[in-house]
Amino acid sequence: MVSELETDRPVGTRRASLLYGVAAVVSLIGLADAIYLTVEHLSGRSVRCTISGCSEVLSSPYATVRGFPLAGVGALAYFVVFSLATLAAFGYRGAGRLVMMLVGAMFLATVWLLYLQAFVIHHFCQYCLLSALVTTTLTVLVFIARRQASKN
Amino acid sequence: MKRILPFVMIAVVLGAGLLTAWYLRRTPAESLQPAPAPGASPAATAAVPVEPGAEPAHAQGNANAPVTLEEFGDFECPPCGLIHPILKNLEAEFGPARLRLVFREFPLVPTHVHALAAARASEAAALQGKFWEMHDLIYEHQKDWHEAFDVRPIFEGYAKTIGLDVAQFQRDNTSEIVERRIFLDGKRGHSLGVQGTPTIFLNGREVPFPSLEQDKLRELINAELAARH
Repeated sequence: MVSELETDRPVGTRRASLLYGVAAVVSLIGLADAIYLTVEHLSGRSVRCTISGCSEVLSSPYATVRGFPLAGVGALAYFVVFSLATLAAFGYRGAGRLVMMLVGAMFLATVWLLYLQAFVIHHFCQYCLLSALVTTTLTVLVFIARRQASKN
Repeated sequence: MKRILPFVMIAVVLGAGLLTAWYLRRTPAESLQPAPAPGASPAATAAVPVEPGAEPAHAQGNANAPVTLEEFGDFECPPCGLIHPILKNLEAEFGPARLRLVFREFPLVPTHVHALAAARASEAAALQGKFWEMHDLIYEHQKDWHEAFDVRPIFEGYAKTIGLDVAQFQRDNTSEIVERRIFLDGKRGHSLGVQGTPTIFLNGREVPFPSLEQDKLRELINAELAARH
């Protein structure tokens, strides 16, 4: 008796498991990116103006949530995605549903952040764009995996 | 074994993530980074010789003051605008006999669309002997012009305020000498490894960005003054 998440893999087809595995690996890219941005933010380096334009984005009021760096929230989210996607890849039933809900929320947040960069801050940060790419990829992977799993 | 494998993987990633964050966090040094004197070729800048920058440099304070703060600044950069009053306070506190301030142009183009125009305006004012007056006005009103579509009339207004010959100021804005000074300061910045603004050197040693606060800078200046006594 491990948990209600566990199953003997009747749900996940091999293809769904593979897609969750790929999603777990992709989430590591997002995790590394978000950790880097969090450390940049906390060390104050992101506040300095540089040629990349990241400083404008990371020193804007939208880069923090109640004083906590948004990148830190992102790092936490990517870690949870990695954990859930890994569990889903190993056939833990509820994990697939949870990761889809989380990734869906992250995708909506990404759309909002892209809007802020384009129309409010008027600067793009390449690390934030990488994160947007990772989240979009995760969304596609997880939704396809869910479809594959539900076919079973 | 298969049951615990995902949990092992999660634990490994968590550990690796925390370790990476800790490693990245400890990288920035709090001590002053040695930077080379003009003409020297230290390991930090490898084969790049240190450029002298535009001469004469824009400086306030005695040439033989024991402490020199050399700032590489971009007029449109918000943190540069924030450090401006701090430097003014320190200048008043230590006086020209003890503290010399040098300003170097380092407009971050194309990130800041008006940075070059602002640098040109300050250099054009310098040709009429009013660099620091223009420098102060541009920084103090950074929020007023930063969002403007065309900043030239705004800077011409500042030129009028500080009593410049505006027609001459307009001509100087696009002059060769103004372009050259900005280019030479930028070249010096690059040769010293400047990557962003504000970057400040205290007697030739780079002050780490987290130390660019009034109290920390005061401490560093006092330490330098004590070391020279």
